[in-house]
Amino acid sequence: MRRILSSITDGKGFDILLVSLTMIFLIVMAGLPLLYNVLMSFQQVDMFNLGTFSRPFIGLENYQDVISQPEFGLVMKNTAIFVFGSIIGQFCFGFALAIFFMAKFPFASTIRGLFLVSWVMPGLVVGALWGFILAGDYGVLNAILQALGVTNGTMFWKSDPNLSIWAVTIANIWLGLAFNMMLLSVGLAGIPGDLYEAAELDGANGWQRFSTITLPMMRATIGAVLALGLIYTLQQFDLFPAITEGGPANSSSVAQYWAWQWSFKLFDFAKGATVSVMMLIFVLIASIVYVWSTRHEVRG
Amino acid sequence: MSRVPVPKLLFVLAIALAAIYLFPLYWMYVTSLKGQSEIFANPPTFWPRNPDPSIYPETWARRNMSVFLWNSVVIGSGVTALTVLLGTGCAYVLARYRSVWIDIGLFAILMLQVLPASVMITPLYVGFNQLGLLNYPRTAVILAASAKAIPFYIVLVRATFMNVPRELEEAALVDGNSRWGAFFFIVLPLARNGILVLAILTFMQAFGEYIYSKSIITTQAYQPASVGLSGFLGPNSTDWNGIMAYAAIYVTPIVAIFVILQRRIVAGLTSGALK
Repeated sequence: MRRILSSITDGKGFDILLVSLTMIFLIVMAGLPLLYNVLMSFQQVDMFNLGTFSRPFIGLENYQDVISQPEFGLVMKNTAIFVFGSIIGQFCFGFALAIFFMAKFPFASTIRGLFLVSWVMPGLVVGALWGFILAGDYGVLNAILQALGVTNGTMFWKSDPNLSIWAVTIANIWLGLAFNMMLLSVGLAGIPGDLYEAAELDGANGWQRFSTITLPMMRATIGAVLALGLIYTLQQFDLFPAITEGGPANSSSVAQYWAWQWSFKLFDFAKGATVSVMMLIFVLIASIVYVWSTRHEVRG
Repeated sequence: MSRVPVPKLLFVLAIALAAIYLFPLYWMYVTSLKGQSEIFANPPTFWPRNPDPSIYPETWARRNMSVFLWNSVVIGSGVTALTVLLGTGCAYVLARYRSVWIDIGLFAILMLQVLPASVMITPLYVGFNQLGLLNYPRTAVILAASAKAIPFYIVLVRATFMNVPRELEEAALVDGNSRWGAFFFIVLPLARNGILVLAILTFMQAFGEYIYSKSIITTQAYQPASVGLSGFLGPNSTDWNGIMAYAAIYVTPIVAIFVILQRRIVAGLTSGALK
């Protein structure tokens, strides 16, 4: 007993105590629910047996039910549009801005920092702002597009089933762009400047310098940013209830919103768990890519 | 021959880019000051004809914002306290050693960081229901949201601890301090700034938390401001100056703190985000 006590004040016991407290909390609040989620996806869960621990197992029936829903294909397609549209948009704009802000001019880092304000704003507020900007008849985006001559008609971003998923995607690109830019800036700052000088002396033009120095040197960072983009995009929820509520007719519903609707609108918790488990597979793939690329970064 | 100085040109361009990017924020404040008919004008006016701030006290009273905001503060403070309490020590240990076990622990934490809240809410809700925690809805939300915030906090605070020189701690141990003494009086004060910045960030995130509160808290008196906003927001909303006034009251403190602490927040975020 005394040895344990003295280990806690002076030895390894101190470290183990600090780590295990946190780990126990995380296992109880995140690890166990994760397993519980998988368990529920094989059970029948309804309002009557919600509070009990013994529920009938029904095998893969939930999975079959979910896949045979008429909106299943649409939701998967929307998820793909939302995820890839967001990642591509955030990455391209973020990368362009990051390169721009590497130039030397007064207050460069302060102005760049201001972009990050989007990242600390509550998602629901961002959704409210974009819901108003994207409104059909009186939305300011339509007015700007018409003034620039991009389009003549009125785009009903939120109520046109062909556009509604793009409305949320645009808002999400805005939301995630700054964070992408910030991470890419860190990567860019890590590239030694003399590489560029040497290339310039050798007569390489701007594009050659970008494709032979910037891109290869940034490989690990780009991998991490893209994987993080996938992770954060699949985490994005708040914009959906704020802008379209998944509508009209599920045309802007994505997996994470659909899972929530199953559980908290239809109170079919087993189906919600099932959709979540399906989504989780994608998240796990992304996080393996992320961990792999950050590892590359540290160990170099 | 006079040349336009390039840095000045870039500076103007940078300001223009920032203005375009932050336009939604500007639009929120401008819209809240417009009258009901001016909001639906086409083409829209970019500066209100008769700025009318009376919508602010009106929205504050009508939407019962003091209760909502107080609940947001309670949830934000609870999450921040729990996160700092549980995350700091763990981050310190993970920064101090290099071994297979540390790598496994870091990997587990990174994995927990990526779990979407929309995935976790179903099992958490059912589990909380079975444990009776739903009777204490704000506590339940604090527990759930902390589990989401802690992994992120650990990853970034660990980067701060990595920058604290080991020699200082070792010197304190040689001088006869216990591990507790060295941790509390040497290491923690040196990492204070990083911890403070990340605590503020954690608070900001929890202050805007939506999905857990929306799903778990059904009593209006305990709901945070995000859920209050969602009550009159949706694809068919029309009360736009009310929504914008509400949003402005809600985010102005966050935006103000962010602008004041901008340099530190950005430094704290970027130092560890990729490590």
